[in-house]
Amino acid sequence: MKKNAFIKQLAEFCEFSETDFSFDTKLKSIDGYDSMAIMSMIAFVDENFSIKITATQINALSDFNSLMNLLGKEKFEDD
Amino acid sequence: MIDLTGKNILITGASSGLGRAISQTVASQGATVFLSGRNETRLKETLNSLSGVGHFVFPGDIANFSIIEQLTKSIIEKGIKMHGFVHSAGIEKTLPFKSSYPIVFQEIFNTNVFAGFEFARLLSQKNIANTEGASFVFISSVKGKLGAPFNVAYCASKSSLIAGSKAIAMELASKKIRSNCVLPGIVETEMVQGLFTSIPIEVKENIIKEHPLGLGKPEDVAALVAFLLSDEARWITGAEYIIDGGYSIH
Ligand SMILES: NC(=O)c1ccc[n+]([C@@H]2O[C@H](COP(=O)([O-])OP(=O)(O)OC[C@H]3O[C@@H](n4cnc5c(N)ncnc54)[C@H](OP(=O)(O)O)[C@@H]3O)[C@@H](O)[C@H]2O)c1
Repeated sequence: MKKNAFIKQLAEFCEFSETDFSFDTKLKSIDGYDSMAIMSMIAFVDENFSIKITATQINALSDFNSLMNLLGKEKFEDD
Repeated sequence: MIDLTGKNILITGASSGLGRAISQTVASQGATVFLSGRNETRLKETLNSLSGVGHFVFPGDIANFSIIEQLTKSIIEKGIKMHGFVHSAGIEKTLPFKSSYPIVFQEIFNTNVFAGFEFARLLSQKNIANTEGASFVFISSVKGKLGAPFNVAYCASKSSLIAGSKAIAMELASKKIRSNCVLPGIVETEMVQGLFTSIPIEVKENIIKEHPLGLGKPEDVAALVAFLLSDEARWITGAEYIIDGGYSIH
């Protein structure tokens, strides 16, 4: 998946108020990043990558880059 | 002290958590236990932990309903009459509602609801149900009454058990078959370990705080189930028992 498309789709799925973020946007700084968003991220990752991540793992992430690293860098392409 | 001597009791979900604790409790009170679960090794661990002898294990996936028929058939072939049934097998999925597709409901309902009612249907038949009466106990959840976020399909399944159990209670009362539901709050089992890793930490902390007496232990629930299976509970049917350390007070 293209990195920017991933971030955009994830942001839409989580219903953040905006969808344009850079790779190093701090997750916790996003408007609307709450427990509902965390559960949505878990579901999005499961549905699109068949990978089960936990809320504890998400809590330890800083930005979108670290999320993509967690899922496996090889799954993403530069735009 | 509850006495279940001479009673034959089938328990689903016996390889883990509440089902295992219920099996241990009723065996210690004299019952012969018929253990159902998927994981054969863990089912045998339960078997080895039981007091008394002559218990049976029936490994198999009960979401495949033909297994239920095979299992009850093998009991009938042994000429055994059943006095009790506990449906503790259950699965839980923590998901936002937007990801709760029909297939998620289907999977959860197959095990939590349909398998339980299929067991009850077969066990209530004349050739297997004890003629002096029998007791069915469905392990629902306090969430089946109150709801909970990220748990729509699970809550719906647990609520279905309550309504179905009441209907069974009414229909089978003339056969002296009682049917009741137990609605636990959070009990420390493997299911809950799974739940606690999948939810955000603040949600977990809130859940713990909301149980004034703290989280439950499997044997707390087992004691109530054993009572409902016993003759002491002969006038109780169609009831729903919340056992939740005070979670539902507010
Ligand atoms: N723990 C709680 O806080 C809590 C609260 C309220 C209600 N409950 C309810 O209490 C019941 C027991 O929960 P628990 O905490 O003891 O859960 P658990 O430790 O996860 O055990 C679940 C049991 O269900 C069995 N099972 C699941 N799917 C099955 C299938 N398709 N075929 C056969 N067996 C199957 C499992 O067998 P295998 O492991 O062999 O696959 C296991 O023995 C569940 O119905 C749950 O919803 C639990």
